Parts: sequence; structure tokens; C-alpha cells
Amino acid sequence: MAAPSVKAVRGWSGLALGVRGVVLRLPGLTQVRWSRYGPEFQDPQTDKEYYRKPTAQLTEEEKYERELRKTRFIKAAPATKTSSVFEDPVVSKFTNMMMKGGNKVLARHLMTQTLETVKRKQFEKYHAASAKEQATIERNPYTIFHQALKNCEPVIGLVSILKSGRFYQVPVPLADRRRRFLAMKWMITECREKKHRRMLMPEKLSHELLQAFHNQGPVVKRKRDMHKMAEANRALAHYRWW
Amino acid sequence: MAAPCVFCGPAIASRFFLGGRVTLAQGQGIWKPAAAELQAGTRSQILRLKHLTVVKTKKNVAASRPEKYTVDFIKKQIEEFNIGKRHLANMMGEDPETFTQEDIDRAIVYLFPSGLFEKQARPSMKHPDYIFPKQSAIQWGEDGRPFHFLFYTGKQSYYSLMHEAYGKFLDAEKRQNQLQAKDLQMEKTKTKDPIVSRWLIKEELEGMLAEKLSDRDYTRFIQLVERFSTLQCGAAEEEFLRRFRRSVTIQSKKQLTERLQYDEQGRAFSTSEGKRKSAKAEVVVYEHGNGKIKVNGVDHLLYFPVTQDREQLMFPFHFLDRLGKHDVNCTVSGGGRSAQAGAIRLATARALCSFVTEDEVEWMRQAGLLTTDPRVRERKKPGQEGARRKFTWKKR
Repeated sequence: MAAPSVKAVRGWSGLALGVRGVVLRLPGLTQVRWSRYGPEFQDPQTDKEYYRKPTAQLTEEEKYERELRKTRFIKAAPATKTSSVFEDPVVSKFTNMMMKGGNKVLARHLMTQTLETVKRKQFEKYHAASAKEQATIERNPYTIFHQALKNCEPVIGLVSILKSGRFYQVPVPLADRRRRFLAMKWMITECREKKHRRMLMPEKLSHELLQAFHNQGPVVKRKRDMHKMAEANRALAHYRWW
Repeated sequence: MAAPCVFCGPAIASRFFLGGRVTLAQGQGIWKPAAAELQAGTRSQILRLKHLTVVKTKKNVAASRPEKYTVDFIKKQIEEFNIGKRHLANMMGEDPETFTQEDIDRAIVYLFPSGLFEKQARPSMKHPDYIFPKQSAIQWGEDGRPFHFLFYTGKQSYYSLMHEAYGKFLDAEKRQNQLQAKDLQMEKTKTKDPIVSRWLIKEELEGMLAEKLSDRDYTRFIQLVERFSTLQCGAAEEEFLRRFRRSVTIQSKKQLTERLQYDEQGRAFSTSEGKRKSAKAEVVVYEHGNGKIKVNGVDHLLYFPVTQDREQLMFPFHFLDRLGKHDVNCTVSGGGRSAQAGAIRLATARALCSFVTEDEVEWMRQAGLLTTDPRVRERKKPGQEGARRKFTWKKR
């Protein structure tokens, strides 16, 4: 689209239904987090199936949403997003977290190698197993990955709260995104620190993923430790005010 | 004009009267009343003397309040402006009836060329509505009593509008309850299918009321007006509500579709450009082909060894289910490998618009394929190590 200049777009805010708190752009106060897109830009929807759905199958809400999207400005799709069926948002997020110094090429390479190693290991097990066991062995690396990360997610977390001069570890419920983040972070830290110097990341990571898939291994242990600490500090729960 | 020293609050373009009176910009120092009297023009002089007296009395008062203008004063200014406009038209040898503001501006620039850098400091002649701030009409009479009964709220137009709107809302509700009691209510199907209009935004409302509003005020107003619109109301209420609606830019798909061109062999192709960061790409997409992509004369597999970049090249084709059906020839320069891939992606998406239906163009726009990515490298700031990173904090 003949991209409208960002300045001209800034003053436009769409329907005032669900009036968004438009952030004031006062001359004296510049925001630290700002984006080249104005607040009225919406995120792009790259899924092909969303558009191919015939109109008859849409609910009222979806129809309204479609009409609404036609009047909005849309941001450009980022370089990591495509409409490919092979793209997985969890895998992309994990790759980004593994990335060091902006070396996306290496991170992605490691990720693909990990998934391949997982698949190979599972296939070896499959071929070595008897017919009954073969039914239970999961071979899809993506399901293993998702399940492993889900098994590593803590349900409750600890937060340092300052009260009367002392810091207490208070148990606190975690948001979904925080839980996913912690699972991935623990996995990556574990694989980076506790491995033999000569061992490569894909090998270690695949090993850890398989262990987490079976609810074993150090990452799941760490999650359980977190839960135990939270249970131990149950009495401090009322220090939380939100 | 007598007393710019009192008038200069906002930067106002100076007024320009004819008959030999040249006024300078208001930021340029105190215009001495004595010098003003030397100017010719009888009628204006009387006016100016009037101002002189006003100024003299106001000198004793703390002069930080914005100046208030009476309605008569503004009317007089408008009359003078119109007469001056006609004089100017005659001077320039043009027809006074069809002398527009642009003609006035051009005439002033011709008659009074100025080398000043600040555009607002140059001589100009504008309608009094643009010069005198809108809200400066004096809102109290000679006895000091304000005209409007809500004057002491501080935001009289806003509160009177809320009062009026709420009154109408209560009436409409009462009427609806009465109809409901009599079971005469017509089923209102107010599903807003096409989104054709929107409520005013805060800036527009402020302009309408000529008053500053807070975010909370604006939210309250929108909530009230939104509730009002959900009721069933008659024609008068609809008219009232329509004053606060503006039409939405009809579906920002002002995408320029490229023309289809034909080369010597009769093949149809379409060209377009795209850019991302500092990379610029120009792409030619042929209508019938095998899916070969040549970048700067080299196959895309060799030019983009990274999978992510190749995925970006394929994105528009995959989205439209046209993976092996077009041939692409492109030139790209500048930027890095990812930026070049993004530039080519944008250019191919734009080129494909000419082979595809309007609906699919809209889908591509909603998928973010047709927007130029405005993100560029943020500059490094002085006193910091990078764009965001600060220097290491040292206690001493």
C-alpha cells in the first residue's frame, strides 16, 4: 500500500468503542518504549485459513471483526513470520531465546539439529522396541517439544517482597506467558551450564527434552523445587497485595 | 495595530491592513503607541485610539491572562479583512469576487518579500478566525456577570454539552420505557454491519468545543453518547448524534495496483519496487512461469543461502497459492541480507497485486505483506554507548 506517512497516521484513532487509553504524547515527556508504528496499527494475520473461510461459516463476531480490520492500518509482517504450515510460534520463540549476539542463523541451525536428533533417537527406540511398546513411543519431535516445555512450566512462582526491612520470598501466581518463558529459560540455562565441554548443544538439548517429556530430568526437578519452596512459604502469601 | 505587547501570547501571524499601515510580527518587540499614531488612516486611527485606552487601563492589572475579545470587535475585524481583501484584489488587478486565500498569500509574498526564516514571522493576511484564538470572546457582560450559567465550572461548553446530551438521553429512555410498557416497541436491529463512521477523537472534540478536555472528560462523553446510540431514538436525536460522528477512511486499501505490461514475446509482466531499512529492490514478475527467481542475475538459492530469507521470498506466492506459477527477475541493492529479502518480498507482493482479485489484495494487506516496514536503525545518542545502552554506572 502506498504506505501512509507515519506522522499523518498518528493522529487517527479508530472507533471509540472500547476507548483505548491513548497515550499522551506530551512534548516534555518522551516515552522510553516507543515504536515506529503508531498505536493505531494492528498486528498482521498471516494464517491463510483465516481468509479462505467461507462467509457462511463465520459467526457475527467474526464478521464484525473482519469489517473492522478492513478499516485499520496493519503493521508489516516481521521477517520471521510466514504463512508456512511448518512454522511454529513456540519453536520460533525458543530459537530467539537461544540466540546469542543476533546470530539467528546459528540458533535456527541448532534448533533444527535438536529436533532432528530427537526424531532420530525416538526412531531408534521405536525400531528396537516390541510391537506393544511401539504404540506408546511418540516420534513427532514437535509434540515432544511442546509436551516437554509444558511439563517444565511452574504453576506458582516466588517474588521478593520488601516488608519492614527484610526481603521475603512470597508465592505468587504466574501469568501464562511468564510460565512459558520460565520453562524455556530454565531449559536453555540448564543445557548451557550443565554439559560436558565437548558436548554439542543439540545433543544435550535433545536429551533434556526427552527427559522432560517423561517428567524426569533436572528441569522438571527445578520446577518441583520451585513448587516446594512456594508451599513452604505459604504463610507469607498474604504479603501479596495484587 | 496598537498593542501587540499585550496580544502576544500564542504566536499569531500579524494582521495586515491596507492604507499604508504595515504591521510587524508580534514577537518583534513593543510597538510604541506614539509611532502607531503617525500612521495614516482615520477610521483605523480611531480604532487604534480605542485600543490605546484599553491598554492603558489594563497596565495596572497583572498581565498574564489571555486577552479576551468582544464579539463586536471580532465582527469589525472580519469586515475590515473583507474590505482589505477587495482592495488587495484591485491592486493586483484581479477579480475581487473570486479572490481566494491562496491568492491573498501569493499577493502578500509578492508585495512584501521577506527573507525571514521563521514562516510565522513573515507578513501575512489571514481571516480573523485564524488569528484570534477562538475562545477569546468575552464571556461576561459589563456588570461582570457571566452569560453562561455554567461559566464557573471552567469548561462551560463541555458541561453544557454533557447536560444537553444527558437530558436528551433521559427523554429517549423515558419514551422507550413508555413504548415498552405499551408493548409497542419495534425490535431495533442495530447491528452495525459496515463500519462507516466513528466517534470524534479527543482533538476533534476539543476543536469543536474550543476548550481543553482531559482524557477522563472525553471518555465520559463517549460513554454517554455510546449508551445513547444504543437506544432507539427519533430523527432529532439521530441528527444530534450525527454531529459527533465522522466517516472512517473507506477501508484503507488505497493500494495502487500496478499496470500490466507486455514484453516483445507477448508475455504479461508487472514491475514494482520495495524497500526495507536501506535496501531497495525492483522486481519484475512474469505471469506464466516455473517459479524461477533470479536476483541480480543469480539464482535465489545461491544469493540467499539462509533458509529464512528464502522463506520470505516465497511468502507472497505461498499466501496466494501461486507457488510455481510465476517467474521473477529482480535487482536489489543496499542493506543486509535480511533487509534485501524483505525488500524483495514487499516488491513481489506489490507486483502480484496486478494479477490478483481485489479481495486477495485486501488479504495480503491484512497479512502485512503490503506495508513498508518503517523500522530503521535507531541512532546512537550522546552520553550513551548505543541507542539504548547507557555507560556503565560508576558510583564515584
